[in-house]
Amino acid sequence: MPYKIISIRIDGELVTAREGETILEAARANGKQVPTLCYLKGLSAVGACRVCMVELAGTDRLFPACTTPIQEGMSIRTASAKLALYRRMAIELLLVERNHTCSACVSNGHCELQSLAQSLGITHVRYAYNNPHLPVDMSHPRFVLDHNRCILCTRCVRACAELEGASVWAVASRSIYSHIVSDLNDEWGNAHNCTGCGKCVQACPTGALAEKGFAVHEMVKQSDAVTRLAAQRAGSSR
Amino acid sequence: MQNPSSQALDAREKLLIDQAVAAFAGRPGALLGILETVQAAHAHKSLSIESLRYIAQETGIPPARVYSVATFYSLFNLEPQGDNVICVCRGTACHTRGSRDLLERLCLDLGLSRQGISDTHDADKVALTTPGHKFTVRTVACFGQCALAPVVEVNYHTLRHVNERTLQREVRALTRGGK
Repeated sequence: MPYKIISIRIDGELVTAREGETILEAARANGKQVPTLCYLKGLSAVGACRVCMVELAGTDRLFPACTTPIQEGMSIRTASAKLALYRRMAIELLLVERNHTCSACVSNGHCELQSLAQSLGITHVRYAYNNPHLPVDMSHPRFVLDHNRCILCTRCVRACAELEGASVWAVASRSIYSHIVSDLNDEWGNAHNCTGCGKCVQACPTGALAEKGFAVHEMVKQSDAVTRLAAQRAGSSR
Repeated sequence: MQNPSSQALDAREKLLIDQAVAAFAGRPGALLGILETVQAAHAHKSLSIESLRYIAQETGIPPARVYSVATFYSLFNLEPQGDNVICVCRGTACHTRGSRDLLERLCLDLGLSRQGISDTHDADKVALTTPGHKFTVRTVACFGQCALAPVVEVNYHTLRHVNERTLQREVRALTRGGK
């Protein structure tokens, strides 16, 4: 057998998983729901959003499920009052950082941030809004980048670098000034490396990257297409 | 396509970048070294977009990554710096000893818009340059010289227990110095 099988406990249930899998993979393979935002199956995991935090027995620390590999005998809790609190806090802080006015967003109703906020029962934000006024890049013939909707999950950065191999996107600057840039802060339409494939748009969980020609509510993303493509690539390279 | 409005690099700058790229070739973290070398050689201690583009082209590092690195580290400047760099420490110790007043006074004396300071949070980095490129005022989170607070660095020379008068004297000396 090429893989070593180890057993772990998820929410009290004894399950087996392959060594090298992350907590998230093991949990999802066994039908457990762990919310994620910056994670997209097929792309590398960065553990940036802190939404997939889980509890591990024997430690007070929370661990991001998407980047923590499983170990023999681990006992994991995927849902608790403490986790709900921290997940809510993480989402609230994301909402505070940018202008996420859903009613005027192309992705309204099809947005991972919005659905996550709804499922976590976020009706209001406890913190002061801190969002800067950011530009909207309309220079690309087919796509549009609205920095005000961006949560800096870097899914577009990874989709472009890992699947398309073009590395058009990167995160520039730091702290509240962090933002996504194409090439050397060129307008997207002038980004020399961009092939116009649109994988970044499909990978984007919010309305930050969208196709042109859609009105409020109309932009439905196909992030599973990105996952399928990644699986095909992984299959063909083997 | 390359941005048509941008100016091409002259041969000297290209040579400098080529040399830096060759000197750091194959080393981990080469980009940092290259950026540092190129910035240090620039008359106004900055990195132009064109030089970044050329560095990306020569190293094969994606341009977005070069830009990301150059904007992440506060010691890389994309804007030309002044002939004299005055760096005010905004760490906790210096703050309690009045470094904000020093910074505001300094900006007032040099005619720099205080908007840049009041618009941003106290902890944020400030880098303001006077129109004639004579002075650049920067802030730093801590020099690690807290016992000497408040600390101001003038042209990389650290001044201790600075007050508004001593700072004004320094600035006047630099203004008269003609550099």
